[in-house]
Amino acid sequence: MDYFFIIDFLQSLVDGLLFGTTYALIGIGFTLIFGVMRKLNLAYGAAALAGTYIGVAASLAFDAPPPLVFLLSALGSGVIGILVYYCCFRFTPTHYPMASLLASVGMLLFIDEVVIHASHGMPFPYPSVFRDATIELGDVWIRGDLLFVFGICVVAMAVLFWLLYRTPLGLATRAVSQQPRAAALCGIDPTRVNLLTFGIAGILGGIAGAMTAAAVGVISPIIAMGLTVKGLIAVVIGGLGSIPGAIIGGLLVGAAENVFLLLRGVTERDIYVMLLLFLFLTLRPGGLFGSSAGRD
Amino acid sequence: MDFYFGLAQIIGVHTLLGLSAYVVLLTGQVSMAQAGFYAIGAYTPGAMTAMFGLHILPAIVIAGLVSAGIACIVGFPALRVKGLMLVVATLAFGEMVRLFFFNLTWQVERNGELVGPNGAEGFRAIRYFPQNGWEVWHVTVFIWIVVAVVMAALWWMDRSRAGAVLRAVGHDEIAAQSIGLNLTAVKVGAMTAGGFIAGLGGGIYAHTVTHIEHGVFGVLLATFAIAYPILGGLGTVFGTLIAVLFIQGFLIEGLRFMGDWRSLLFGALIVLAMNLRPTGLLGEHAPRMKHLLGLRGRKTETLESKEAN
Repeated sequence: MDYFFIIDFLQSLVDGLLFGTTYALIGIGFTLIFGVMRKLNLAYGAAALAGTYIGVAASLAFDAPPPLVFLLSALGSGVIGILVYYCCFRFTPTHYPMASLLASVGMLLFIDEVVIHASHGMPFPYPSVFRDATIELGDVWIRGDLLFVFGICVVAMAVLFWLLYRTPLGLATRAVSQQPRAAALCGIDPTRVNLLTFGIAGILGGIAGAMTAAAVGVISPIIAMGLTVKGLIAVVIGGLGSIPGAIIGGLLVGAAENVFLLLRGVTERDIYVMLLLFLFLTLRPGGLFGSSAGRD
Repeated sequence: MDFYFGLAQIIGVHTLLGLSAYVVLLTGQVSMAQAGFYAIGAYTPGAMTAMFGLHILPAIVIAGLVSAGIACIVGFPALRVKGLMLVVATLAFGEMVRLFFFNLTWQVERNGELVGPNGAEGFRAIRYFPQNGWEVWHVTVFIWIVVAVVMAALWWMDRSRAGAVLRAVGHDEIAAQSIGLNLTAVKVGAMTAGGFIAGLGGGIYAHTVTHIEHGVFGVLLATFAIAYPILGGLGTVFGTLIAVLFIQGFLIEGLRFMGDWRSLLFGALIVLAMNLRPTGLLGEHAPRMKHLLGLRGRKTETLESKEAN
């Protein structure tokens, strides 16, 4: 335990926590959709990836500035999220959860393949900002681009909270997630709420995808799987259906990932993150903030 | 001709993979871990025949037992959570197994060369069949005997009390519990049986392709595993077989002229099928042979199935 090890450790922890906000966003998306529909949308990570590619296409086509690329990524992913809703959730029976689950898996494969076809499976550079800026806190450096990622994700979460707790739309969303039938009796159209939730979750996913790509510097189809699996782990650790849980879970996954990267190397890192998930499943199946253990 | 034998082999092992997911799906659980059990089943007998010179038959049975044991161990923590959380847990487990084999390097010297899993490069030279003079059709017949035995066992189980118990848990857990069924035992039992079948399939797969690597056992394979029974319908084991024949025989081999676009088609097909026929091709209640032939008893059966719904 020498000094340099502790500095390295702190450095990974800080980087991981900053990057973990992207997992938190993906986790929030899963949780939102689960909240209103009681369904798992496995195509979510792929939709986020496809949205990010729309941003890349814009930057390649007419040399768009980074903020516009980020915006297009988010909006594109929102549109794809709505598309996923119509293809996989709108017309499948609600009492037979396997149908929509498998449909969303099919959509995951479909979107993934479309992206690979369109991009020929090649990684593309993704714009980033504040790449050269660093803040030095003693011997720990905070990368400017990661801080930007962190900032954008926090802003996105703040906007989401405002939307959920301060607007009529948010009230309707929370009503549907608490008791869909009663909400429908009060004149809320659950279909419209579901649709908007998929759109909002898609936009969050697009932001997460854009920020992941911005932090890495390149975008390739591989990140969809990482986003999906890590986002799901964040949700399970935090408790399915809980937004604060998803945030804490995302930060925890990001930090754990980077610390294990330091301790065990890149090929073994994900094994330990998944072991962490099993630890939580065994000791706390409902997650940190889950309302009841192992609920469906 | 060898091409068709090869195709029959692929269909055979994929049928085993689909059936392994079928057992678990009967209890209403969606397990994305079948690719992981399949991987364990592929590496274990590969190691036993290639590295220690065991006969194929005990090797694949041991592979099944090892996979079943691990499925049982995984089942307990994973089944503390239900439904959607289980999907996540099993997905993570499958990826964990894949990453384990990605990192595994364990080679022994045999006949002057190193054999065994070698990390990212995979496990080469699982040459039991060619070394012992098995021809392609021998292997094909061997695979289909195993498939037939497993299918017959599952078909029989479906009609016995065990099948009724599994379906009871799948349809309504609370009702099943209130008539005195032990939910954990049933679910872990189904998971163990699924692990055993996936292990058998993986063991055979490793010997037919002679080279296995971690990338094969990813999420795509896990998706195939659950897609077969759901697309075919959970009413009967033959639904799984039909789905495998359609996907492997028609969609992947028959449409070969379409090149890479087939994988696009696979995803689109799943989405379409789930929208048009969410309970699968043969449905949750398999049509009986006599109904298909238009014989008597049709009316009472439809009434019964209405009540069951």
